[in-house]
Formats: sequence, structure tokens, C-alpha cells
Amino acid sequence: MGTEKRKPFLEVLIRQRYLFLMSFPFLAWLFVFSYVPIWGWTMAFQSFRPGKAFGEQKWVGFDNFIALFADERFYMVLRNTLGMSLLALLVGYTVPIIFALILNEVRHQLFKRSIQTITYLPHFVSWVIVAGLVSKMLSIEGIINEILMSLHIVNEPVQFMQKERWFWGIVTASDMWKETGWNSIIFLAAIIGIDPELHEAATVDGAGRFRRMWHITLPGIRPTIMVMLILSIGWLTSIGFEKQFLLGNPIVNDYAEVLDLYVLNYGIKVGRYSYGTAIGIFNSLVSIILLVISNAIFKRTTKESVI
Amino acid sequence: MKAKKFKAVPLAILALIIVLIAASCSKSASQDPGKGTPSSSPSGTQSATASADDKTPITLTMFGADPNPNWENMESPVGKKITEITGVKLQMEYAIGDQKQKISLMAASGEYPDLIFAHGNENILVDAGAYLDLTDLIEKYGPNIKKLYGDYLSRLRWNGQDKSIYYLGSFGVNDKQWKPATGFELQHAVVKDLGYPKLKTLQDFENAIKTYKDKHPTIDGQPTIGLSLLADDWRYKITVTNPAVFSTGGPDDGEWWVDPETHKAKFHYTRPEEKEYFKWLNHMNAVGLLDKESFVQKYDQYNAKISSGRVIALADANWEYVDAERALRQAGKDDRMYGMYPITLREDIKYADFQSAGYSAGWGVGISKTAKDPVRAIKFLDWLASDEAQILNYWGIEGVHYKIENGKRVIPPEEMAKRVSDPEYGKKTGIGVFTYPFPQQGIGVLDPSGQTYTTDSLEQIKANYTAAEKDVLSHYGVEMWKDLYPPTESFPVKPWGAAWQINIPQNTDAAVIAQKCEDIVKKKVPQMILAKPGEFDRIWDEFMADLDKAGVHKMEDEFSKLLADKIKLWNE
Repeated sequence: MGTEKRKPFLEVLIRQRYLFLMSFPFLAWLFVFSYVPIWGWTMAFQSFRPGKAFGEQKWVGFDNFIALFADERFYMVLRNTLGMSLLALLVGYTVPIIFALILNEVRHQLFKRSIQTITYLPHFVSWVIVAGLVSKMLSIEGIINEILMSLHIVNEPVQFMQKERWFWGIVTASDMWKETGWNSIIFLAAIIGIDPELHEAATVDGAGRFRRMWHITLPGIRPTIMVMLILSIGWLTSIGFEKQFLLGNPIVNDYAEVLDLYVLNYGIKVGRYSYGTAIGIFNSLVSIILLVISNAIFKRTTKESVI
Repeated sequence: MKAKKFKAVPLAILALIIVLIAASCSKSASQDPGKGTPSSSPSGTQSATASADDKTPITLTMFGADPNPNWENMESPVGKKITEITGVKLQMEYAIGDQKQKISLMAASGEYPDLIFAHGNENILVDAGAYLDLTDLIEKYGPNIKKLYGDYLSRLRWNGQDKSIYYLGSFGVNDKQWKPATGFELQHAVVKDLGYPKLKTLQDFENAIKTYKDKHPTIDGQPTIGLSLLADDWRYKITVTNPAVFSTGGPDDGEWWVDPETHKAKFHYTRPEEKEYFKWLNHMNAVGLLDKESFVQKYDQYNAKISSGRVIALADANWEYVDAERALRQAGKDDRMYGMYPITLREDIKYADFQSAGYSAGWGVGISKTAKDPVRAIKFLDWLASDEAQILNYWGIEGVHYKIENGKRVIPPEEMAKRVSDPEYGKKTGIGVFTYPFPQQGIGVLDPSGQTYTTDSLEQIKANYTAAEKDVLSHYGVEMWKDLYPPTESFPVKPWGAAWQINIPQNTDAAVIAQKCEDIVKKKVPQMILAKPGEFDRIWDEFMADLDKAGVHKMEDEFSKLLADKIKLWNE
């Protein structure tokens, strides 16, 4: 960039006018959908009433944030959100890598492709249906209980959906079933990009399968792994609420309610749009901080980063 | 050459982008005036010249907060007839999932359809100024509306400060109650098997369930289920917590109990009597008579269970299990259908299902301020309130769904059979689709020819009973289910209407407290019912303490004020 012959901006603009023109729509899109809405953050400092002009709104300073941090329930839902998303990160991240590694070792092409297709298909199934399947399977007369009973592991049916502390596990497991295949696609793609000569050389040197996996495949996809990890850390607080909402019930609610649901119940549903916005801001700030910190750590330790 | 070729590609892409953008812009631009014209020019001038029967085709958009499973896109015979008479085609959009969220979002966006049915969330829209005041429109274009509501028209006014009419109340006006709405249900097979035992108190109810379940541990090869409850989302209020009020003598005021003397409202759980009811549920669970999946199952699972015929007892509102019961009827399992009994905690308590609330216009269909043609909209609603429309909507089309014999409307037996046993009847014919939530004549109200507007008549209800039902009733020495209940005349009319129709204003402390209390109830009630009996009292105390801490009394005070306002407004 900073070479001796620094051309004036205008000249660059004219010379690369088509490139600039081509990128313009995307910049405009980004601006309209990602930057303009930040204006809505002003709502968090008002007591917003719908249907009134901006000038007529009452300004309340940090009241909404104070109310938020004073609410016990907020900490409960924050715990659930972080708990479930960390579990999702742990499982939904390591399992696809392992799966991709193993699948890559399969020699039979047809078998490999069928497995890959079968495992990513659940990704396209709606959570409504997955939740229905899971709760039917885990009900008293469900298949899981029937298997457990016939194997004499338990004497009477287990009420899976009534165990508060199992809820995170159930959500994570169903998430794993749904997303493992899909998430492994990117790793499989990265593995294919590794130069086969490396493998050949290693084989000549007498390296076995696991050695090659460890010394060639894994280091080969390390950049992908790192970038994916940093990005998922940025998403930690925004895990959505579909699965928790659909799988939850009143008994496990203390472990099922997540931030997004809290925003709906205590923000939008009771007409406190400002309060909901305050939570949104908090959410975004936490995400940015997590992203920046993890990025810095990875930059320092592994020289890989996204920013 | 090469350079030119290279340029051509980005240019082509750029041109494509511009075309696409232009296309999307022009599309929305051309749509808007299309939407706008009917309001501005043709009908605007026509309505000014007061042409009462403007039948030019018009599409009115409508939002329905409460999805109508029978909605038929106005393609049914009745729906087509309505379009033919009025020229109006309704384009419905229903809320999926939480209604309140959808309506809140609508209010936040400020974009409304022509007609809005907010199903109890009117306050959000009134706050946002979404409704048109209908007072003048009714005065000018609403003769049928005025006739249908009569003196109750003043009850449609919003509140003491704002006396506008924002919507036309749902539910039959001057309804006579002929069928119990709530109660404790037992399969006919159970009472028959036990020789028609006395069914007055919870103890009697429990004994019946227990004896039958012990005697018949399986039904059709599957384990018998005693009492099944449903706690799916908001439905916990219907089968889990409402019966606590009913069995202790309270009328249906939703989450409230109103002192008949002082008119002070109480969050109903705080009444000491109700502890007894929940304790009984706890006991039912401990002895294995409560369905273990009561708090986990979803509505479809609940319906499927009932339809299988192995749930012997319910504590539900009729409308919630009626579809499942219809499936039983279709399958010919008449014995597995349910009788409704006014069970109470003690024998001296009167089950108040039949207490009259007068007419309370809790919710209904309103016209939005952005409606493209408010005059056509109000005329459409007025037509729906007319005798012609009421008869069409309740009875169907003459010669097809009913016929006239000796000047009386009669439904032929084969049509009647379809009506009662075909769950899709409403969808196929359109009958009943345009009644609720639109203006409705009440059950038992007579038209100018002296016949009821509704198809319900005491005889018709009786004629609908199955043989098993008639048999059970005769053994209890009555003709109808309502005869088992304390009659309407034995209660005073509630001067506040139905308290569940009063909304706490949005964005207030009371609204937040209400949400908190709801969360506490949702958590603590299942917990106390599923707890070991020894722990019940401790959890109940925690429950009360939690409610206290959340500010339940402050909310009660606020609500009592709203109630007082309403009583004052109605009695002006």
C-alpha cells in the first residue's frame, strides 16, 4: 500500500471507477441494514412510546440499563444463554472437526458421499419439527424410554423433559444431531484443499494414518478452525430462542429461558421497547468485546486472526 | 480488443444491478398508488353521495390475532355469498405464535391492515393511535350495528378519559348460556361403570377416577390415564389454574378474583381457599392419578391422548377439548366422551359458571387509521351485523344448509349429522367463520319472525346429545348438562363484566409486575403440584413470598382502579 509513489485518491478513483461502482451497492446495503439501525439505539435512553415523533419522546438517561442490571431474572437468562452457547460451541465445534477428519479417511467414495448427505440433511429440518421429534422420543412412552426399559437400565420411565439440569444437555444434543453434518462441510472443504503431496511424502517417510491426521490434516485446516472459532465466539450471546422455546416447558423454564426470550417477554410484550433496546445494546457490546479479546489472543498465540 | 472485452463484463453486471434496483423500486412505487386509489377517488366520492350499497369489488386486509382454523379464504359457499352481496373480499393475516408480540411489532412499525382484531391486546394499538374512532361512522353508516348492540353500544367506549369506540365487541350480544363453558369432566364410561355416583366435591371426583382406574388399568390395551392437565404456553391458565378459581366458587375473571362487595381485585392465587385446590392436585399427583406428562406435553400431544380415549378425567374448558372429543364421536367411541360436572372444593360452594357478566365488549374488530376505505369497512361490518348476514352465518344458505318448513328454518337431519360430526364442516361451508370475532347476535336472541338467530336452541342441543350422554343425564335426573349447574338466576349480574377483558396499560410498572407474576406462577405451580406432599406447604409459602416481592399488591391496586373506571363508564 504505502509505496513511494502514492497516487492521489481521485486518480485511483477514476482509474478503478468500475470497481468502485461495483462495490457501491454492497456498501449501500451494508449502510442501510447495518449502520442506519444503530440510530434506533437512541430508544434505549428514552421511554419510547410507539406512534409518537422522535422529538416527543421522553428521555430517561440510563434508567433502562439500571433497571436491567437490577433484575435478578436478567442474570438467570444470561447464565442460561452463555451456558448453552458455550456447550454449543464446545460440541458444535469439536464434533464437526472430528467428524470431518474421520469422514475424510473413508476411502469408499459412494459411501462417503452418502454419509455426508445424510448427516447434513437435518440442517434443513425446522426446529418446530425437531422439537416435536425430540419431545415424542423422550416422553414416558417414547422410544428412548422403551429401549432403556427393555435393556433393564431403568425400572420406570425417565421423565427427561422434567429434569431442569438435563435441559441444556438435551438442547445441545439435538443441536448436534441437527448441525454436525452441516458444520463439517467447511472443514471437509478445507481438508480437500491440502496438497496431496504432503500426504504422499509422509507416507513414504512411514507415517501412519493417525500421524498424518495429526501432522498434516489438522495443521492444514488450522486457519479455518481459528477463523470459525473466533466468529462463533462473537455469536455467543445471540443463540436465538427457537430451540429453547420449543423444547421448554414450565418446569425447566429456569434453565430454558434465554436472553432473546427475555427481550420478548419483558421488553416487547409489555410495551417496553426501550428496555428491549437496552438489552440489545448490551448484547452487541458483549459480542464485540468477546470478539476483540479472542481475536487478540489468537493473534498473539497463533498469528491467525479475522480483524 | 482485450481491454474492451474486460470492460464489458463489469458493465453488464452494473447494468443488471441497476435494472434490478429500478425494477424493485418501480414495483413498490406502482403498488402504492394501486393501494391508494380506491380510498382517494372512486369510493370516496361515492360514499359522499351516500350510496348505501356500493358493491364494487374491494379487498380489505385484516389481521386476526386469534387464528381461525376454519378460515377458508372466502372460497366456501357462505364466503362467496358474502363477497357477492357486499363486494368485499377479506384478505386475512393471522398471528403465528405469540399474539402480543406480533401486535407490538405492528404498533412499532405503524403499518396496519384495514381491519384489526387484536384479541385482548387492543391497548397496545390504542396507545399507538392505530384505531379510527368509530362513533361517527356508526352514527352515519351503522344502523344494523346500533340495532345489534342496543344499549350496550355505550359499553364499547374505550374508557373514562377517551370515550371513543375503537372496535365492535366480539361474542354474542344478549347471550343466553345454555351450555356449561367450564367444569370437571369425566368420561361417560366412568360414571356408568360406577353406577352414577354423587359428583359434587373434589373428593367425589377423585374417588370416581381412582375406582375406575384401579378397576380398568388399561383402555384399549394402553395404560389408563387419570386426570390430564395441559401447561403448554398460556394454556396452563385454562386447565391448571382457572379450575382453582372455579372450584372455590369464583366466576371466570381470568387471573383475577373480584370482591363482589368492594369491587377490589385480587390476583386470584392469593386467596387462601385456592391453596386447598392446589394441595389436592399435589395429592392427586402423589397417588398417581395425575397424568405424569401434564406439565410437559404440548397441545397436540394432549389432543392425541384424549382422542385415544384413555384419559378418563379432565379439568378443562369445553372449547379446548371439543375437537378431540369430536374425533372420539367420529370414531364411534361415545362412551369415551365427557360429561361436565360442577365440582367444588366443598359442598357449600356454588360453581359459578353460569353467572352472567352482562355484555362486555372486551375485544373485537376495529378499523385502522390507515384503512384505505373506512366507509366501505364500516358498511361491511354493519352488513355483518344485519339480520341477513347473521342468519347466513349461523344457518348457511337456504336450500343448501337449511330449508324453510312452515315458515321456520329447519336443518335437515343429514345436514345436522355433518354439522356435529365433521370437524371440517365450518371450513367446507363457511358457516360460523364470519361470526366470531365479528358482531354476533347472542344465543337465544329472536329475530323479527320469532326464531333464534343462532342455530342453538334447547331442543337442538338436546337432539345433538349421543345416546350415552342422554343415558347419563337421565340417571342424574336432568335433561341437560346445564341443569347440573347452579342456574344464572341464582347469581347477581357482575357489574364489571368479565375482568379478564380488562387490559393493564402497556409500558407501566403494573404491566411488568404482571409479567413477573405470570413467570412466578408458571414456575411455582408445577413445582408445588409435583412436589412430595410434605414439601407442599413450604413451596406454597415461597410462592406467596415471591408474588409479594414482585409487587403483586401494587398491581392489584392498579387493576382495581381500572375496574372502578370501567364500572363508572358503563353505568354513566
